[in-house]
Amino acid sequence: MAGSALRRLMAEYKQLTLNPPEGIIAGPINEENFFEWEALITGPEGTCFEGGVFPAKLIFPPDYPLSPPKMQFTCEMFHPNIYADGRVCISILHAPGDDPMGYESSAERWSPVQSVEKILLSVVSMLAEPNDESGANVDAAKMWRDDREEFEKIAQKLVRKTLGIPP
Amino acid sequence: MREAGIMLISTALTCVVIGNAYYQRKQFYPTVVHITKSNPSMTVIYTQGFILAFMINAFLRKIFFGTLRAAELEHLVEKVWYAVTETCLAFTVFRDDFSPKFIALFTLLLFLKSFHWLAEDRVDYMERSPVITWLFHLRVATLLNLLFVINIMMINYAYDTTATKGPSVQLVFGFEYAILLTVLFNITVKYVLHTIDLQSETPWDNKPVFLLYTELIIGILKVFLYFAFVTLMIKLFTLPLFALRPMYYTMRDFKKALHDIVMSRRAIRNMNTLYPDATTEELAAADNVCIICREEMVTASKKLPCNHIFHTACLRSWFQRQQTCPTCRLNILRPTPNNARPRQQNPPQPGPQVPPQPPQAPGVNPIGPPFHFPVFWAGLPAPGMPPQQQQQQQQPQQQQPQQQQQQPQNNAGSTPPQNPIPPTGNIPLFPPLFPTIVPLPPIPVPPPNLIELSEEELRAMEGNLRQAVEARIQTLQRIQLLLDAANAMMNQYQTAAATANIPVNNTTSNIDSTSDTSTMPGPSGTANTNDGINSDRESSQVKVENPPTPSTSKENTPTPSISKEDTSACNDTVDLSRTESSSEQEMLRKRRLQKFSPPPTE
Repeated sequence: MAGSALRRLMAEYKQLTLNPPEGIIAGPINEENFFEWEALITGPEGTCFEGGVFPAKLIFPPDYPLSPPKMQFTCEMFHPNIYADGRVCISILHAPGDDPMGYESSAERWSPVQSVEKILLSVVSMLAEPNDESGANVDAAKMWRDDREEFEKIAQKLVRKTLGIPP
Repeated sequence: MREAGIMLISTALTCVVIGNAYYQRKQFYPTVVHITKSNPSMTVIYTQGFILAFMINAFLRKIFFGTLRAAELEHLVEKVWYAVTETCLAFTVFRDDFSPKFIALFTLLLFLKSFHWLAEDRVDYMERSPVITWLFHLRVATLLNLLFVINIMMINYAYDTTATKGPSVQLVFGFEYAILLTVLFNITVKYVLHTIDLQSETPWDNKPVFLLYTELIIGILKVFLYFAFVTLMIKLFTLPLFALRPMYYTMRDFKKALHDIVMSRRAIRNMNTLYPDATTEELAAADNVCIICREEMVTASKKLPCNHIFHTACLRSWFQRQQTCPTCRLNILRPTPNNARPRQQNPPQPGPQVPPQPPQAPGVNPIGPPFHFPVFWAGLPAPGMPPQQQQQQQQPQQQQPQQQQQQPQNNAGSTPPQNPIPPTGNIPLFPPLFPTIVPLPPIPVPPPNLIELSEEELRAMEGNLRQAVEARIQTLQRIQLLLDAANAMMNQYQTAAATANIPVNNTTSNIDSTSDTSTMPGPSGTANTNDGINSDRESSQVKVENPPTPSTSKENTPTPSISKEDTSACNDTVDLSRTESSSEQEMLRKRRLQKFSPPPTE
């Protein structure tokens, strides 16, 4: 019998393929290795990220689902909760115990109940409603708060970039 | 491409050097002497040797591992850098022994180490790979055997050299190979366990436990080896700086293994003793997919106090990390008597551990704050509560004995009621669920102590004279006072019972409703007061619809009977207060968000 992490990832992949949530595609980059996934997230409608298709990479730990995966956008992103290198900073991706921002309650942290689908849906809602309390990208957080127009302009530029349209 | 270029250049250089020497000397031995005497020539030869060694290494790696995965390569590069740094440090200690032979030995050691690391990565990967081919088994098995033989040989050689020639740099080699041997042992155990697991059709639940114990034993061995080595080195040479980092990591790993074992044992013990196995009906009734592994639960499932069901093995591995329910985060290490209760506030210390004591005297002091109070309100005065009562609540438990003596008189009503002021000053934190009692047209309810009134008093109440009216009001006030006292007393009963965990909701609510209806004709302030009292206990308000039973407070002494209905009622209350508190938290959260939210942009 294969490892439990592998079996769970296979089950999730199957689930995501059979009933894909709207605007999200995800699956292993290579079916030989189920611990590295690629996801495509469409920007939520009615936000400045609307229309964009953002590729991201998910790296699962060997003890998934006991530990959370890591998620990193592979395209350029400008968002209060995404680090400059694309890593996503949301509380459900943090294992209970470590608290990089020092404000999350343990109820918002990772637990085996979470899944790839829930993570990606959380990321979509994060795109729609940035949380400027935890600034992974301080510049973006500041701009989001003080100069929304400029922020939206940058976001629109990124959207065009992901689609391959010249700005 | 670059490697190929370097190789070509190096080979060309070597050819040039050898050709040149042979061209000058014409004979074999003079050529060798010429080359060994000239430093530039030796440099070229050594470089060539290095490149050859690397090529052999790469070749062997290709045979045993095929193409490396990205993660493996990353690990390898990271570890190689540390190993090289430490080797350089080791050279500083043994600079007298510095010679090409030792460089060759260190290179060999480095390559062997890299093979151990890669083997470990590969064996770890077994658990995560969907397909394990026969080629994989063949490669790993051969490699493990080969490494074992080499390690033993090298240890033997180091031992012989040290025994015959005294301590030298061979001590370091011997020790390094001994460490590698433990690593190899660990890898082999893992490999065997994974292989057995792969053969079986059902998941092998005990594998993680075996792995943990292997890690612990290897950890002990390694720590012991490192200590022995460092002591030896300090005695014979000097402090081995190069061994400190691996020693630290080994000790840390050992500590972690120990911690894991302890946690795992505790989790297993808890599961075996505290939680029942899920019955077949329960498995059939609920959506029987284990939320941890997303597989169906057929057997070997446990039910947590919060009624969530998981595979025993899944729970065990989760409990090694965290002692909470994966679904609702109920802390399972703090078993509480009431099933639905523990989640509501997660108190930092174990909940009230007061043994249930029967309410002996009227006006028993409440022990601690009533439990259905959300924790963040504990500091605030309870709305509508008599101020004296609040003080009592905050008093430490040690003062209770004396307090109990004074209480009965206080509450029996010799003093004016403690709450004649309608609680307008207090902010009503809970909007009363029950509509505020509108002063109805006075219904002539006979006061309970009507029979005790003398003829004169009765007569005084007749008629429309001012005196008569005053007498009537006085009597009513007296009744009100009695009721207030009874009410306060019931309050205290309830809080005492709540802390002692005796559900008494039904009885107390009766009292409340009685007092509500009976005080209606009284002065208008009373209704408000009662309302205020009630507002801190939604439970009673919810149940005001109960038919009022005209009974005095004495008959209604809460009996500590725990019937099924009672417990369920208690659970309901808790749920209610929990939703209240969560909505309250939600409010706080929103307020906090507002504080940070941007100023409206126009």
